[in-house]
Order: sequence, then structure tokens, then C-alpha cells
Amino acid sequence: MKKAVALFLTLLLLLSASSFALAEDITLDVIICQYGPNTSDWFTGTGMDGTSFVKKFEEANPGIKLNLEVVSWNDVYTVVSTRISNSNPPDILNIDVFANYASEGLLMPVTDYCPEELYDDFFPAFMQNSVVDGVVYAVPDLASARALFYNVDMFEEVGIEVPQTWAELEDACQAILDFYGGDVYPFGMDMTTDEGQANFAYFAWGNNGGFVDADDNWAVNSDENVEAIEFVMGMVEKGYTNPNPATQTRYDLQDMFGAGKLAMVIAPNSVPTYLTDKGYTDINYATAGLPHNEGATGSSVGIMDRIMAFKDDSAPDQAARNEAIGKFLTFFYDPVNYVDWVSMEGFLPAVNSAVGALIEADPSFESWLDVLNTSKFYPSHKAEWDQVKLGVINVQQNALTGGDVKTLLDGLQAELTK
Amino acid sequence: MNSILVRHKWEPYLWILPSLLLMAVFVVFPIGIVFKIAFSEVSKSGVVGAFNGLANFRAAVNEPAFGTVMSNTFYWVVSVVGISTLLGFIAAMVLNQSFHGRKLARSILVFPWAAALVIQASIWNYIIKFEYGNLNNILLNLGILRDAVNWRTSYQIEFIWECGVGIFVTIPFVTFCVLSGLQSIDAAYYEAATVDGAGFWKKLSTITVPLVKPSLTVSTVLNIIYVFNSFPIIYTITKGAPANKTDTLVTYLYMLAFYDQKKGQATALSVIGFLILCAAAGLYMTITMRKEDEL
Repeated sequence: MKKAVALFLTLLLLLSASSFALAEDITLDVIICQYGPNTSDWFTGTGMDGTSFVKKFEEANPGIKLNLEVVSWNDVYTVVSTRISNSNPPDILNIDVFANYASEGLLMPVTDYCPEELYDDFFPAFMQNSVVDGVVYAVPDLASARALFYNVDMFEEVGIEVPQTWAELEDACQAILDFYGGDVYPFGMDMTTDEGQANFAYFAWGNNGGFVDADDNWAVNSDENVEAIEFVMGMVEKGYTNPNPATQTRYDLQDMFGAGKLAMVIAPNSVPTYLTDKGYTDINYATAGLPHNEGATGSSVGIMDRIMAFKDDSAPDQAARNEAIGKFLTFFYDPVNYVDWVSMEGFLPAVNSAVGALIEADPSFESWLDVLNTSKFYPSHKAEWDQVKLGVINVQQNALTGGDVKTLLDGLQAELTK
Repeated sequence: MNSILVRHKWEPYLWILPSLLLMAVFVVFPIGIVFKIAFSEVSKSGVVGAFNGLANFRAAVNEPAFGTVMSNTFYWVVSVVGISTLLGFIAAMVLNQSFHGRKLARSILVFPWAAALVIQASIWNYIIKFEYGNLNNILLNLGILRDAVNWRTSYQIEFIWECGVGIFVTIPFVTFCVLSGLQSIDAAYYEAATVDGAGFWKKLSTITVPLVKPSLTVSTVLNIIYVFNSFPIIYTITKGAPANKTDTLVTYLYMLAFYDQKKGQATALSVIGFLILCAAAGLYMTITMRKEDEL
């Protein structure tokens, strides 16, 4: 008898491995990145007025089911590339990069599924950043802009002004170093694989350099860039920065800044939300533009993430699928939902229709929108972008251990133009 | 009678079928896929294309970081396995003596082994932090230090810390392997040796070491595999930074696959790692088995 039961269970186990589901509705696989502690709760928990985005959407759109997964930024590249390797990409993906997917023909043009009214609502400058060969392949989900955060109390105590140029920055750092005798790091730098490309951008763009030349060709080894990174290395050598820029991430820096251990850090507009959430309430800080080299024009650094839709040739009804994706976007960008989402995570909006409500809720948003207007964005529409991203991080880390900046940047450029 | 025999023929296979299936699905099949990808063209997004021979292997070996990574891996495995085996052996000898609180000492030793590796690595990362690290705090409060010390001034030192953490978490495993070996040794051997006038070292070299050798072999082979493949310690503490100078093969190939989007090269490296492990484990076992035969 026992044997018979065991045999039955064994067979059951084998059968269950080959179970299948009947699908009547259209089900969209959606991957959303985790922007903060509230993301999961908002999309799948109870963070949206006691219910979730998924439930609300499914109620409003019968016949469409969402299989929505919130994935951390650390894991999302792994998850997506594994799914692509297994020929099972998500239907809708929220991530920062898109050019690889687009140039390999995996993405649908936005006009295939995005309703015209919504399409026109996006900030045009953002859409231009998602073009490959003249076709828009992704829509922006939100943006953030960077500014110099400084500790006002420290600046008053030391008796210094907010630095605008690199020379002033070095003077300010020296004054802070002298005053606190090493207890406070003057300036925070993150050269880790988390976001080392941002550090490169802050200084390269602050010296009229950058990733590409006027014709949008890679130009990572320009004289301006070499000068900028040599300046960065000088800052580290003189002890003006946190001691381990290769392993201390921006989040470490934001914590140090909140704890009064760091006087200045370049960080996104979401930092106030971050500091409050983490309980750093007694710090008195303000923001300013990014310091730039004498004679160069200052600009901010804008970061933009995207939503894109993958092709799925196996879908029985392509038109219905496209329509469902369009409904998802329309629902997400509906000001009723979208304003809640953007302000919850402390980001900047990507659609015009949200601006009014956001400014009404928090007037400081307006100044950030101005910053966003003067911001430069990463050239993430170029297929080699992730190679460049890692490349400039690698260059900085190699320079930290004694490598020659020019040689390293020449090497990266050569690899790109190979 | 006949029917029982027939049933016996297929029955055992049926019972082991689930575990065979599990092995096939989760072990054999993925290894096959890795070999296939290693010899194929892989796009940046991860689309696997046509067969391209040894191109992935060539590209992987020609990466500037390859040499550093291989020598790091060598130092990592040799130092962690070597030192933890030595220290684990000593700890096992101590724990094999009878003394008050021996049970407590044995259970404390399990802790580093029982906790998840990634948690331990995060805690160590926190302990040696310059700004708020526990090590500095304790030493400052005890008055041993006057100023906080940066325990990770260079990547070489950070790599030594990583090896240290690796040794710390590996010792318990060796200790328990050796301890089980020690406990199976008949006390009569030692008594006889004592009567014949053998000292501590003589007993160690002629009785203890030869008799715990099978346990040592097992722990060393398993450790070589575990330590070679160990990912959390290095990934948590330095992520291989700066510029792959603290990477071992496993963390490096992860970064190659999922940060650099060079999946072909990454799979080629994991095939190389697989072969190295097979060779190392095989070599070690043949050598030790041969010696045992000679005994």
C-alpha cells in the first residue's frame, strides 16, 4: 500500500512538472525597477490608496491581466538578459538602457502601441533621447536631475562660499580639511560600478568635454576629458574626497552627508526624500549648480529612465496586444496615478500633464524642472553606451591605482572605434 | 516468482527517477547550455547566435584583466584553503581534548559556518569600514587607538581582508571534518605509542595525520571547489574594484556577463573554470589515493 501511494505521488510530481494554463485574457508580463522602498507596495501591495496598481488597472481594463514584477536595479539586467537568452523577454520593461535591444530588433516602435494623445504629452527632449535610426523605441518614465548638495552649517562654520569653479572647489575643500582636521570629508565621489559614469559626466561636462563630439561620435579621450579626470584624481590625491571612491557608492555618500561626515556631494533631486526616509533630520543643507572649470559652461546632469515594449511574434492577436500595452501606458501616465508615483519616489515627471499638479503639491519642483531643462543626458541612444559606461568607470578606477589618464582614455576610445 | 523479478528490474529506476530528473534539469542541462553558449556568438542583449569556434575563449583570454584575475584566483584558493585547513586542523585537535565547556566551544565554532555567506560578508564589510566600522569603534573605545585607522587603504589590503574573511568562514568546515576523523581513531594507538616513548610530534606525524587523511582529503577537495566558486565575499566587499584588481574568476565572469554584456566571454571563462576545477580536484584525489595505496 505504502509503495502504491509513493508511486502515485511520484507520478503526480512528474505530471505537475508539465502543467499548463489556459489563457483567455491577454496577459502582459511587466518588469518594473525598484526605485525606492515604496515601489513594490505601490504596484503590487496596498500602497495605492489601500489597493495596488495592478488591481486598479485590471478593474479598469477587463480582459487584460498584468503579470507585474518589481525587480531591484541590481538584478534587473541579469533578469532581462536571462529572459532574452531564453527567448522569453517581458512584454513591457522599465529600465534605463534601450539601444542594445532596439538595434538588435527586439523592440517595437513606440508609435505601434502608444496612443497619440499620450505620445504628444511626453517632453519632446526626452523622446529625442530614445531614438535609434530615426525611430522612437522607448518612452521616458521619469527623470532626475543632479545638483551640488552642501552642508550649510559647515560652510558657515568654516566661513566659505559655495564653489562655482573647480579652483573655488579646491579652495573650499582645503578650507574644510584645515578646519575639521580630517573629521569631515570635503567632497564625495562615487567611482564604483554603481554609478561611476556619473562622476565622469559631472567633470567631463563641467570642462566642455563629454562622451560624444558635436557629430554624436564617441570622443571619450578628448583633451577636455583628460584634463577633467586628471583634476578628479588630483582631488583624491590631495585628500579632498572620501578615501575609497572605488568601493563607496552614492548611497554611502548620501549617508555620510546625512550624518554630517561629508560636506558636499553631487546627488539627485530625490536626496531630500532619501534623507527624511532614513531619519537624517537634523542636517541643514542647500543645493547649488555643479562646479565647472573656469571658462567652461556649467550644466546639470539629467538621468532618465524608460519604458519599452518587446516584440512577441508568438502573440496570436498582435493588434490586441498592442492595444493592451497602450492601455497600460495610458493608465500609468494618467495624472491621477502618475503624480502619486512620481512624488512618492521623489522624481521629476516625464509628461506635461503632471507638471501642474506636482508644482501645486510642492513649489520646489519648479526649480528642479528648470534644472532639468538645462541638463545634459547620457548618450544612451547609442548601442555602445553600456560599454562606454563601464569603460569610463574602469578608466577612473585604473587611474586611482596609478594608471595614466590619457593612456587609459585613448585605450577606451580605440576599443570603441575598432 | 517471475513477476517479482520483472518488477525488481524496473522498480529501482523508477524510485530514483525524480532525483535523476532533478539532476538532469538543474545540473546536466545547464552545463550543456553553458558549453553551447561558450562556442556561440552572443549579442549584447543576450541573443545566442551561430557557432563561432574558440572566438569567445580568445577574446576572454585577451582581456587586459585576465592575467590579474587568474593570479588573484590562484592566491585566493591557495591561501584560503591552505590556511583554513591548517587552522581548522589545529582547532580540531584542541576540540578533541576533553575540557570544561567543550560542547559550548564546538557550537560556537559552528556559527560562522551556519550563517549565510552574504550576511557574513556584509557584516565584515561593516566591521572594517573606516567611517563607522566596529573595529575602529572598539579599538578607539578601548583606548588602543587614538585616531581611526583606514583598514582598507589599498586594494592589496582589501584583497587580504577578503582572503581573511574567506579563511574565517571556512575554518569550521575543516574543523568538523577533521574532528570526525579524530574521533574515529582508537585511543589504544596513542596508549601504545606513549608506552613506546613517542612524544607529541611523533604521535601527530605517525598516528594522527595518516589516520585523518581521508577526512582531510574530503575537506580539501570540497573546499577547493567551494572557495574557487565563492562569490559573495568578494562581491559584497569590493565588487572586484578597483578595475578588476580584486576580482577572482567567478566575480569577474559575473561582471563580464551582466555588467559588460560580454556573455560569450563570460561563459567561455566559466567553462575554463569548470575544467580547472575538474583537473584540480581530479589531480588531488589521484595523488592522495595513490599515497594511500602505498601505505
